[in-house]
Amino acid sequence: MYRKEESLNNEYPKFAVVGHPNKGKSSIVSSLALDDSVQIGDTPGTTQVKRGFPLKVDGKIIYELFDTPGFQRARRVLSWLNEQAPVSADKKGDVVRAFIATHRGDERFIDEIELLEPIMNGAGIIYVVDASKPYGSEYETEMEILRWCGQPSMAILNLIGEENYTEQWKNALGHYFRMVRTFNPIKATFRDHIELLDSMSQLKEEWTKPIKVAIKVLEDLQQQKVEQTVDSIVSNMLKTLSYVHRQKIVGESATDKEEEKLKLFYRQKIIKFEKEQEKNIESIWNHRSIEKVENMLVLDNVGLFSKESASIFGLSQQQLIITGASAGAMGGLGIDLLLGGGSLFLGSIIGGAVGGVGAMMGFDNLYEVKVLGQSIGKRELSVGPMKNLNFPYILLGRSLYHASVIAKRSHAMRGDIDLEQEEFLTEQIINSDMRKTLEKVHVSLRKGDEPKEEDLKAYKKVLKESFLGLL
Amino acid sequence: MYKKNSKISIKSYLNFSELLNEYRGTHEENRLFALKHEASLPNPKQILLIWMEKNSFRISKKSETKTLLQKFSILSNFVGLFSLIFGFLAGLGLLSYSGHAPVNVIYYLLFAMVIPSLSMIISMVSLLGSGTVFNALSLFFPLHWIETILNFFSFRDKIDTFNTLFSDELKKWMFMSRLQLFSLLFSIGLLFALLVIVVSKDIAFSWSTTLNVTDIGFFKLLASIGFPWGHILPSAIPSVELIEMSHYYRLGENLNTHMIQNADKLGAWWKYLAMVTLFYAIFLRFLLWLATHYGFQKQLEKDFLELDGVEKLLREFNTPFVSTKSPKEEKHLEIVKESDEQVAHDVAKIYKSIIGWNFSNDEILLLNDAKSISSSNISIVGGSNSFLDDQKVAKEAKDEVLLYVKSWEPPTMDFVDFLEDLLANDNIREIQVYPLGTVGRNYESDEREIAIWKRKIQGLKSKKVWVIDV
Repeated sequence: MYRKEESLNNEYPKFAVVGHPNKGKSSIVSSLALDDSVQIGDTPGTTQVKRGFPLKVDGKIIYELFDTPGFQRARRVLSWLNEQAPVSADKKGDVVRAFIATHRGDERFIDEIELLEPIMNGAGIIYVVDASKPYGSEYETEMEILRWCGQPSMAILNLIGEENYTEQWKNALGHYFRMVRTFNPIKATFRDHIELLDSMSQLKEEWTKPIKVAIKVLEDLQQQKVEQTVDSIVSNMLKTLSYVHRQKIVGESATDKEEEKLKLFYRQKIIKFEKEQEKNIESIWNHRSIEKVENMLVLDNVGLFSKESASIFGLSQQQLIITGASAGAMGGLGIDLLLGGGSLFLGSIIGGAVGGVGAMMGFDNLYEVKVLGQSIGKRELSVGPMKNLNFPYILLGRSLYHASVIAKRSHAMRGDIDLEQEEFLTEQIINSDMRKTLEKVHVSLRKGDEPKEEDLKAYKKVLKESFLGLL
Repeated sequence: MYKKNSKISIKSYLNFSELLNEYRGTHEENRLFALKHEASLPNPKQILLIWMEKNSFRISKKSETKTLLQKFSILSNFVGLFSLIFGFLAGLGLLSYSGHAPVNVIYYLLFAMVIPSLSMIISMVSLLGSGTVFNALSLFFPLHWIETILNFFSFRDKIDTFNTLFSDELKKWMFMSRLQLFSLLFSIGLLFALLVIVVSKDIAFSWSTTLNVTDIGFFKLLASIGFPWGHILPSAIPSVELIEMSHYYRLGENLNTHMIQNADKLGAWWKYLAMVTLFYAIFLRFLLWLATHYGFQKQLEKDFLELDGVEKLLREFNTPFVSTKSPKEEKHLEIVKESDEQVAHDVAKIYKSIIGWNFSNDEILLLNDAKSISSSNISIVGGSNSFLDDQKVAKEAKDEVLLYVKSWEPPTMDFVDFLEDLLANDNIREIQVYPLGTVGRNYESDEREIAIWKRKIQGLKSKKVWVIDV
């Protein structure tokens, strides 16, 4: 049964991500929780209070991650614990509880209490260190405190900088933790995420099953996101390529000003459709904070109707001619079929040739502007649907590129996307066979017809394949 | 209020379309709603109607579709009433009898059977054919022309807007269904006129044609037309005798004597004419209206499920909602603005005391060597040292103190506690905190790390402590 409030079942696995300040605890939580709203800062103490990130399915908590503040006065805590010695191993946890109870409200230990509390409430320990910096004995104080807690634990080596002290860290951490894993929240792929969860499931026998469930849920969620992304791209393609804008005109024929105004409106509308689609994709992948980062949407710098966009995302002249030929041949094939092949398939051949030449000639001719006569004397100017052969590939390339960058982007990332670092060629991800399938739908849309259901299905399949290839 | 098996009407279709334009809910809200109505989940239409009803308050009160729907309804009522009256008047005209020439039943049959049957056949062909066939054949229907004429009136734009809300297929079914209804009303008007005339006037029926049709031939034709009711109501089929006596020739100026003698029998035609109207113009039309209404309803339901946003809603109803968000708001840290305050850009060569925070003695010796710095008093604090040891170091330090720190390890409160102990020592004139990078980077620290130290030291607001940034 769905419960909006926190699940009453308190038996689900919990994990407290703890460590020294500024070692990437929040980044790891942000990446694992698929939440880009977690504040990540380079100032120690960015996280001031613990925050739970439960993975809920229909309100039921499967597991919960806690982001905690870093240790601030670890030596004082350990000193207090040692003062209570001698304590047998089975009572050490009680001493930590006593520390929390005694120092609750003591401003000096706010951070320590925030981080120890979830552990003493049954959370497993995920100790995060920065393996790009050398190991220091001061960490032993923290690890000793965690050992006092007596909870299942593992360590994560997070490589924040360029240097690598992994071996040094592994030697030290091996004395305190059963398991040591490397995880870079910024570069982590979905697979890395799942592998880390799998490691976490091994910390305690009772946690294995729920974490396996969580892995299945996340895999399904990933699949759903892929489907939704493809649907969103297809929907935008159909909307954009079939878009027709009409406007009433005063005279018998349109003036240059009227025509320019109409074309501008048409282009702006298509740009708006693309923006809406990008927002939708970002929302599907839970990257809602992107708009807060300036200059994030690099695609803005390469306008949809620009030559740069055409050269990056469009097809080359050669591919365009081949695609144009196949599109033309499709039209010609209709004639051949009508004549039962009696035309010796000349229709396809001529159609192919005309289409190919058309593709070459029509690069600058994006759309047709028509004056439509009305019976009572009023006239309308009409623009669209998009006639240019390359435009669907430019739009598709841009959409797939944007979607793949967003889908791969870690939720721990707060920076910009560097377009230069990404290599993208529409031709490479959509081969000529795929283009034939896509072109069936593009041809229908260019004619102003509704594409056939089976063609649309094949279209979606091709896009899904291309998108998965980019992930 | 929603009832089980509620039908989708144009009103609910338009309301739903408007609602979807204004609100689609979040995945969480939609899934929660679906789980509350789990029994309706297998029936998409049903659950969507319940969802619409629950959210109907979100539809703007100044809804344009509501106004359009009213206008459409007024227009339909007007055309319906017009059809009924027109049918009645057409009936009166067809059956007008001045006492000179009798009423030719062939005229009546043309309006009550031939034209309706033809119109029904065209309707069926246009329904089964493609959109082009429909567009071409619709030109034969008076309703098409009535609507075309009405389009030129003031509310033309509104009708255009209204039309954009429906798919072409739905508009086709809507047109055909309304066409059948108006034709049905026309025929009811026609039948009503026949009954009124029969009751209020004593008219003589006859049949007359230029073609060479024999009485027997005409009887056979009429009997085959009346086949559907011939066995149940034999009196409603004209006899050969009646056909013979009501055969009227165009050359006779007035009724012939034979007709006058049998005037009481000539009226018997009305039963046949009434049955023809009832069966061909009303019953069959009614069946066609039912069929087109059913087709319209099916198309409406199909379009209802294909409205923009429905796919998302249904997907969200059926997909478990996975949330990873924290229910707790993040407490944002107020970041102290970095400035050049308390920042030193030089390092002295000799210090009275050198203290290493979290360094070993050997590491400090290496550091001093690398930086060419010396001191007679070197101590280590932090790490595994005790607080008592640290306090002792803080008390014994004098004059200028150089405090080495690891630049990559941000200052913790443990460090701040020690620094405050140093600051409390009046023998210390100045403390210089020197953040150093790793050995691998030749102790060079990066700007970002230095900035953290600067902010922390500046936050202490002490004039005695400086950060070295060289």
